[in-house]
Amino acid sequence: MSDTPRTPAIAQATRKRGLRAGGLGRKRTQGNWRGLPFVLPYLPFLIVFGVLPMIYALTLAFTSSKGKFVGLSNFNQAGGDFRFGDAFAHVFVYTAVWLVALMIFVVGLALMLHSRASKATATFRFLYYMPGALAGAASVLVWLFMLDPTVSPASFILNHVFGIHLFVEAIAPGHLPYIFAMIAFWTGAGGWIVVLYGALNTIPSELEEAARIDGAGAWTIALRLKLPMIRKWVAYMVILSFATGTQLFVEPQLVNEASLGHVPDTWSANQLAYQLAFRYARFNEAAAISVDLLVIGLIAAVLIVTRTGLFKKDD
Amino acid sequence: MQRRLWLPVLVTALALAGCSSSKKSTTAASSTPAPAPSAAASTTAAPASAPASTPAAPASTPAAPASSAAPAVSTASGNLTVWVDAVRLPDAKAYQAAHPNVKMNIVTFDGDGNGATSLQTKIQLWNKAGSGWPDVIFSEQVNDPVWMAQAPFNFAADMGAALGKSVTSQWPAASLAQCTVNGTLVCIQDNLAPVVLWVNQKLMTQFGYTVPKTWQDWQALGNKVATEHPGYIIGASGESYGAWQYFWANQCPLESNVSGQKVTINVTDVHCTEMASLLDPLIKNGTVPPLSVFSPDFAKKYGGTADKVLMMVGPAWYTSVFHDTLKTPSGEMTAAPPLQWGTDSPVTTGQIGGGPWIISKHSSNPAAAADFVLWSTTVFNPPSTSPDYRPGLPGYGPLQGPWLTGLTSNNYWAADPAPAIKAAASQIWSGWDLVTYPDQPVWSNTVVTGLVAGKSLSSLMPAFGKALGQAAKAAGYTVATS
Repeated sequence: MSDTPRTPAIAQATRKRGLRAGGLGRKRTQGNWRGLPFVLPYLPFLIVFGVLPMIYALTLAFTSSKGKFVGLSNFNQAGGDFRFGDAFAHVFVYTAVWLVALMIFVVGLALMLHSRASKATATFRFLYYMPGALAGAASVLVWLFMLDPTVSPASFILNHVFGIHLFVEAIAPGHLPYIFAMIAFWTGAGGWIVVLYGALNTIPSELEEAARIDGAGAWTIALRLKLPMIRKWVAYMVILSFATGTQLFVEPQLVNEASLGHVPDTWSANQLAYQLAFRYARFNEAAAISVDLLVIGLIAAVLIVTRTGLFKKDD
Repeated sequence: MQRRLWLPVLVTALALAGCSSSKKSTTAASSTPAPAPSAAASTTAAPASAPASTPAAPASTPAAPASSAAPAVSTASGNLTVWVDAVRLPDAKAYQAAHPNVKMNIVTFDGDGNGATSLQTKIQLWNKAGSGWPDVIFSEQVNDPVWMAQAPFNFAADMGAALGKSVTSQWPAASLAQCTVNGTLVCIQDNLAPVVLWVNQKLMTQFGYTVPKTWQDWQALGNKVATEHPGYIIGASGESYGAWQYFWANQCPLESNVSGQKVTINVTDVHCTEMASLLDPLIKNGTVPPLSVFSPDFAKKYGGTADKVLMMVGPAWYTSVFHDTLKTPSGEMTAAPPLQWGTDSPVTTGQIGGGPWIISKHSSNPAAAADFVLWSTTVFNPPSTSPDYRPGLPGYGPLQGPWLTGLTSNNYWAADPAPAIKAAASQIWSGWDLVTYPDQPVWSNTVVTGLVAGKSLSSLMPAFGKALGQAAKAAGYTVATS
């Protein structure tokens, strides 16, 4: 955390409490195993439902349906599918829109909530979190109604602001990445706001006081003190969100069905993998697409980790 | 110490939340029913999508549990597993009641196209496991038997051999053609779904129009309606099966000459281009809007008390669309014969749906499986007053009479729709072959989206042909374009 603003007062306060800024980078000289009991109940599930399927997918991706090693042939075939380019393009536009929205609004709202700690904060925190309590598919259904001018409570906005009078106009192909990003934001952002709010709470109040004594205003405190201190949390959010973003499935799948096929059933990369596997029995190519997604997710994660020093232990 | 532990705990919690939500999502996607609008319009919509509650009629119809052509008393026994949709459930239950010697395992599934790949998934899993196949499947997707009969699925047994030629010959030739894959009859249609011209007789009389006999008359009337009675419609172009509604009738080769893995898709054929040109002005003037009859928008603008459907080109099972989906008032609608293209003879029409029965090749009790299909298609025919009244015109000839009598006696109709439907059943063009790939969504996502955006149908035809070709090639077909 070398770029954390260090006024003398802050430095003093930090020393006084023996704190190391950046919760994720805490030194662990002992007690590494103390966390184990907490993780243990999840480990079997992680192995059975996470690690083993991943190994299975990797095996499938590099072998033929008869189990012979075929190198990159499955990747070439899946990549040559006429829907491959579109599906990945859709997913990237969607992920970009969603991540930008997530970064700006989640961080912004969390900072606002934190700087105005009061009774209203708790209410807002609850309000933000609430949509996240809906399961994925249910929230999509809610949005299907929201976007249908015939039944939407916001039909006047659809009509007058966007000039949309029919559901089929609302889900025109060009609108889809934004619509899906909106749905994902609505369901997912609340949880992250609460997490970041929690992260902000770990910043000792002395630091804020010290900054205020040094003459920092609310803006400066938010942008130059709080934001850098929760930077790793933001990076963590971006890594996880990037991975889930590229794996988009439920939203386009349900909109495909609700729109009577206006939205193709291979809109996203994950849907294409699903169709290849279950409609065409091309499991190996489907696995290749899932490996593509894994690689993309890993590259993004490595970039973010190295750029933000997410796992750096010392400040 | 406590402070040191919070991090792994939080990370674990987040990981758990992430994992469970993604798993939850995946499951939800595969099993959640779609919202109402799509409930009846599947990728390959079958009449089965139409609710079973076709308008009830007075109790004058004979129950006709067995017609004269029904087979001899069954001696079936043993175990029998059948997969049916919700509409066919009463049928399976009735069979069970009538055949106590057969130990039935009835499974209902989401066969209405919302679970478009559920059967593919299941059959592949059964094939991999080497067991678990049901003996009989009823599918609402008419193209299911086509892929079921071929590799890698290899599921469908020879239906012709199972039922016998004397029975199958009672189905119309076009119906049998639809179920024939590489020369073998692999399914039998539960019902027929010929496209007819639905007419609002009350409005037609009120406006002083006569029912058109040709597509050209229909178009001329559409132009007239657009100026004299704007807001009223004479058809719709927003269904996923839009191509089946219009292009099949005019013998446009969008999926023709299928033999093995070859298919002809020729959107430049004159039968296609002339139909596109005929529809274009109507789509533009709003009398054939690019909306689906199953969308809430449609019901609001044209259904119920708005009552703006003057005519509709649609299949026989639209009986329930007017009665249940659009809630068109009683005493207005009836069916007219399919439209003729100019003076072309004979008149041909399309077919949208007609759910098939399929027997499994892996059945351990083929005798009971055949007996069940035979009973379901040739015997089961509850009276029209029953909630189990069959939703569509039976495919089996001798059963059509009693079923149509039920329709005739229903006072919902302004005039008897039965003659038009019965006649249309023998006019289905047999040059339209079913294929293994889902062609209907291609119409929705290449054509309808374009129509909504204001493009003309003719300008979208090349893109439509290209997308159909890509879908065909992805399914392993060799595509001929002329």
